[in-house]
Amino acid sequence: MDLTLFLQQFLNGLSIGSVYAIFALGYTLVFSILGIINFAHGAVFTLGAYFTYALMGGAFGFNGLLANARIPVQLPFAVALILGSTLAGLVGVMVERVAFLPLRRRNSDPLLTVVSSLGAAVAIANIIQYLVGAEIYTFPANTYGNLPAAINFGTADQQIPIRTVQIVIFVVAVAIVSLLTYLINFTKFGKAMQAVAEDATTSSLLGIDTDRYIVLTFFVSSFLAGLAGSLVGSSVSIAGPYFGIAFGLKGLAVIVLGGLGSIPGAVLGGFMIGLVEAFVPGDFSAYKDAVAFAILFVMLLVRPQGLFGRRLIEKV
Amino acid sequence: MFYIYVFDRPPMKKPAPRPTALFLTCASLLIGCSQTNTPQTSTNTASPGTSPTPTATPQAAGAGNSTAIPVGVGVAQTSNVALLGQEQVAGAKIAEKYFNDKGGVDGTPIRLVFQDTGGDEQGAINAFNTLINQDKVVGIVGPTLSQQAFGADPIADRAKVPVLAPSNTAKGIPQIGDYVARVSAPVAVVAPNAVKAALKQNPNIKKVAVFFAQNDAFSKSETETFQKTVKEMGLELATVQKFLTTDTDFQSQATNAINVKPDLIIISGLAADGGNLIKQLRELGYKGVIIGGNGLNTSNVFTVCKALCDGVLIAQAYSPEYQNEINKAFRDAYRAQFKKEPPQFSAQAFTGVQVFVESLKAINAQSKVSEKPLPELRTKLNEQLLTGKYDTPLGEISFTPEGEINQKDFYVAQIKMDADGVNGKFEFLK
Repeated sequence: MDLTLFLQQFLNGLSIGSVYAIFALGYTLVFSILGIINFAHGAVFTLGAYFTYALMGGAFGFNGLLANARIPVQLPFAVALILGSTLAGLVGVMVERVAFLPLRRRNSDPLLTVVSSLGAAVAIANIIQYLVGAEIYTFPANTYGNLPAAINFGTADQQIPIRTVQIVIFVVAVAIVSLLTYLINFTKFGKAMQAVAEDATTSSLLGIDTDRYIVLTFFVSSFLAGLAGSLVGSSVSIAGPYFGIAFGLKGLAVIVLGGLGSIPGAVLGGFMIGLVEAFVPGDFSAYKDAVAFAILFVMLLVRPQGLFGRRLIEKV
Repeated sequence: MFYIYVFDRPPMKKPAPRPTALFLTCASLLIGCSQTNTPQTSTNTASPGTSPTPTATPQAAGAGNSTAIPVGVGVAQTSNVALLGQEQVAGAKIAEKYFNDKGGVDGTPIRLVFQDTGGDEQGAINAFNTLINQDKVVGIVGPTLSQQAFGADPIADRAKVPVLAPSNTAKGIPQIGDYVARVSAPVAVVAPNAVKAALKQNPNIKKVAVFFAQNDAFSKSETETFQKTVKEMGLELATVQKFLTTDTDFQSQATNAINVKPDLIIISGLAADGGNLIKQLRELGYKGVIIGGNGLNTSNVFTVCKALCDGVLIAQAYSPEYQNEINKAFRDAYRAQFKKEPPQFSAQAFTGVQVFVESLKAINAQSKVSEKPLPELRTKLNEQLLTGKYDTPLGEISFTPEGEINQKDFYVAQIKMDADGVNGKFEFLK
């Protein structure tokens, strides 16, 4: 592989890896608090993309209940992105209230909560299809204003093109990771969240409203899912109600690779999976998922706690 | 360091499961979840190939309108293939109304029974079982994908229920069994026309890059035809890039292909993935000719690549502009309902229903359909449909004894998008 191709695929890997990282951050936040994977995360990712699309004035096709419906405003992408992600965050809160809270109150087995979140995921995907059909929706051509479609690096002879939207996604990912780092380490919210994650019962005894922080964590997690969904949607298109399923699986791989519950692990895992996928040779590109999951499998055998994970400590 | 870690504490009083076990459980559940994205609309406990009650008649069969003849439509109404399936549902429903308005089968209406196959083989098998054993249909139009046909058609064949494939264009479909025929012309016939049209537009084409969806039997079959055609025409097959129909990001494959500087790119995939691939190829600066396979032969692709779809060549087995009475009626009905030109998949589903209706009429002319036991009617229907000639929206068609379609007219269309990049149309090349 020559240097040009190497750089090309490196940039490709960074751009897709940054999406995985944002998506996996949401997964890992909920896992940190509840010790449970929220399988509705992929569905909220999809929903976030639809919200942002609708807020930009996007019309829906002819197959769903909302056929030809259109919100009578056309917000700029940045505004629609924040509002759409916020709505996704609110849906995440609803999922917590409906699928997680009742089981948590009964001290149910964590597996039941996993199944409950799966149910929420399937229900959300089917509601989307019922409302807007299975059609593909593409963001408007002027989503990114007058930015060029792609930027070329390299020389005139050996150009390295990268789509501008991928650079935008990468920048947003870096900004989100920085913001989340600040939020968790330097704010009251973050410290309380860490306390709840460490020991919910003791936190509660110390006066922290654990229920409130669980809800807030779900909001932040789902906000991130909605943000990732909107960014991917603007990069490729909203490929139907089941759009988030593949990302859901990939997000799982990312957080296990990085270390369940670890935020730097989610970021590093995201970039690693993205880079590995990018460097799968072209003739085998359909197997890039298999390669990514093979690495995950090896990781589970060699270091089950993931790159940044801690070993399980049995308390007595 | 920002860090939240919880393995060593019990979440909400309950011990946390071991991470590996939890992950494996979750992963398997999620995989199960993705498969249940293709929900079945009814349950069926009958084993595959179970014959229906010998004495059942079509009128007595199934629920609902007891006087109507039930015809099954088993296509993908959910999953990532739902885009194509919904077009087929639209075409079939137009056919149902059209033929019933004309008196159905000599005064007896037909009643379409829809079962969702989802996008996978298991979904198609379940849908076919339900249509055969529970809905007791006389024949089935479906499934959507060739991949599904290889799974579900043998079940119909063993139960001696005629199947008309509305969009299965891979090699070997009619060879599945005596009861399997198709109204969708095979790729081997349609695909080379697009390469010829591309060379007509740009005789300097030398280097070709091929993309195909590896997880789709039709796309694999189609790409073999395209690759064979490329070689036979003396062109250089510079690179073959594979992807999955579930992929959305094609940056790696697209840059791999662009690096070999192809003059022509041929894509075999479905509308969502194929459209995204076109979009990303164009955004990355590829300016050469692009040919899309039959999976991209739908106006749904316009909404994916929008203005960047412009100029893509697509071989077609149907033209909305074909001049005959039934195509005019079909086109008018479709345009009145959906405000756009009918796609090939709708036309082929319409044709599937038409072939069943006209065959039932031919049988009825000899002896009353209503008096025939269902198994006998199914067998007779299969024999009859293979012998008839049909003037359809696809033009005049008939079948070989094996069930392969004989179709006269094929087309190559070029996508022309409006200036705003929102609406577009297939402009048929001479």
